Amino acid sequence: MAQMVAAPSGAKNGQVFGRGELARRRHDVVVAYLLLAPAVLLVLGVLAYPLGWLVEISLTNSSVLDTSTKLVWLGNYAGFLRDAEFWRASANTLGYLAITAILKMAVGVGIALLLARPFPGRPLVFVATFLPWAYPGGLGAVGWYWFLIPPLHSSYSVFMGDLHLFFDSRLGEGTWGFISLIAFNVWRGGSFVGIFLLAALNGIPEDLFDYATTEVKNAWRKFWMVTVPLLRPFLALATFLSLTGAAVDLGNVYYISGFRNVYPIVWTQAFHLALFGGQWGRAAALSLILMPVLTLILFICYRVFEPLEEDVA
Amino acid sequence: MRTTRRFRRLVQGVLLVLLAAYSIFPIYMVTVESLKTVDEDVFGSPFYVRHPSLEWYQNLFEEHEWMTHARIVTRTVPFLVWSRNTAIVFSAALAVILLSSLMAGYALGRLRPPAWRGWRRVLLATFLIPQTILFLPLYKVVFHLHLDDNLLALVLTYPMLAIPFCAWLFSVYFQKLSPDIEESAYIEGAGRFTAFLRIVLPMSWPVVVAAGLFALGVISSDFMFAGVFLPNQWHQTIAAGMATMDVSLEDLSVVSGISLGGLPVLLIAALFAGSYVRGLTAAMIEGA
Repeated sequence: MAQMVAAPSGAKNGQVFGRGELARRRHDVVVAYLLLAPAVLLVLGVLAYPLGWLVEISLTNSSVLDTSTKLVWLGNYAGFLRDAEFWRASANTLGYLAITAILKMAVGVGIALLLARPFPGRPLVFVATFLPWAYPGGLGAVGWYWFLIPPLHSSYSVFMGDLHLFFDSRLGEGTWGFISLIAFNVWRGGSFVGIFLLAALNGIPEDLFDYATTEVKNAWRKFWMVTVPLLRPFLALATFLSLTGAAVDLGNVYYISGFRNVYPIVWTQAFHLALFGGQWGRAAALSLILMPVLTLILFICYRVFEPLEEDVA
Repeated sequence: MRTTRRFRRLVQGVLLVLLAAYSIFPIYMVTVESLKTVDEDVFGSPFYVRHPSLEWYQNLFEEHEWMTHARIVTRTVPFLVWSRNTAIVFSAALAVILLSSLMAGYALGRLRPPAWRGWRRVLLATFLIPQTILFLPLYKVVFHLHLDDNLLALVLTYPMLAIPFCAWLFSVYFQKLSPDIEESAYIEGAGRFTAFLRIVLPMSWPVVVAAGLFALGVISSDFMFAGVFLPNQWHQTIAAGMATMDVSLEDLSVVSGISLGGLPVLLIAALFAGSYVRGLTAAMIEGA
């Protein structure tokens, strides 16, 4: 039984445990799993049934109209792949994620660079920039919705109504709703990304920037050749978190609009299909169908923010 | 040379003012709106309020006689009940999130069981599961546990929205924190738990604040879970209640409710903003 256990990658290289240490290590592993259990149960445990149910039902033709549910395997998915409307919706979805992510990065980088160096009154501006994210998003969504798509006659509704009409008549029904959703998400998420990147900038030794300044004179080139590479892992992590934020805000705005504004997006269409169309099988397939793409994005993000997970040298 | 520097500072100053205005403007609009009378809402300016009134705020607390099971005096908009429910749910969920994330973070960052990197990644990956339809089967789970219309439903489901990142943050932090810090305590004969409680935790509070504030931001953003799991207005949180309220021309109570509900969170955020940044920096870069 005196099996040697390889040292965990964090321990000193080449070190192998002796008999007493082996027992201690085994004890540590047990303790570690016990400590890990609540978090895993609260996340994976709570998600297991709903996710399993979603996957299972996506393989059937389950529908309110037809109670004879039978297995159609990947039929639902294949059906969508042949559907031109689905491709438009998924282009919109990825467009929404990409546009909000890019805008949030731009706003966030701007905030971080502006706030990085001390100046009089910085604490005040700093707290102000923090507020959009801290302002409860659930409540904020209500506020934004009433303002951007005013349902009642008030002093701003004429102006907003004109804007609404302007965009919808030129770019198609629902454009203004889409724009307002993006504005809401960027306002909220940009603040989060900005503060996040500020934390990163604070931790990167200033010498690195100063040294780079002696090499690169042009501010624009300095930004791309020094700041961005130094921030790259943080940008990746921020992107990852901002994708989830985009999905959450989408859900919130959709929910408070009483499901009226069906954004031409895969997830809200899935929701619509389920609740109003009763076609549970197809809806479940539709809500899961982008998973491969999202997983790909996830793995790219993982690769890029890996340095943050390294041990200190 | 001197003028370009002065010009630069001017540009920076202008940008900063713009940034502050951009950040606060929507919150300012909501506040202005909530202070308006019906008259001014329709005919006044959208940007300021001439005759501020608190009638919508009073509306939130107005008492009316309602027949419930027994004859009880209640409020038309049970805002106080919503606030109390929100406080209960948020503090319970925050406690659960912080405790389980701390435990998981310590396990992954310090004790490093086999596949610890994998566990961290798997937890983070759950963020990608689309939630638009997910909450319906989730409602089934809640229903089976007899937690529908019960605040515990949110205490059970909110942690999954925040734990993945909080556990990641703690684990990265503990991974970078030098083990020498507890060493002296071990030499004195202290166990892991004592060393953690006496030495590691006190010096880690910015990270705890960062995780806590992140979690608070995430759970106060939720609308769907609260709205779906809590149908009865006496058991709702502020967010859920607001979503069910109707806005009409004569009634801006929703807007005042928004600004009142947002206030405590804003205060907490403003108070801890500095530690939030320090905590993120400590976790992601320095380790202490």
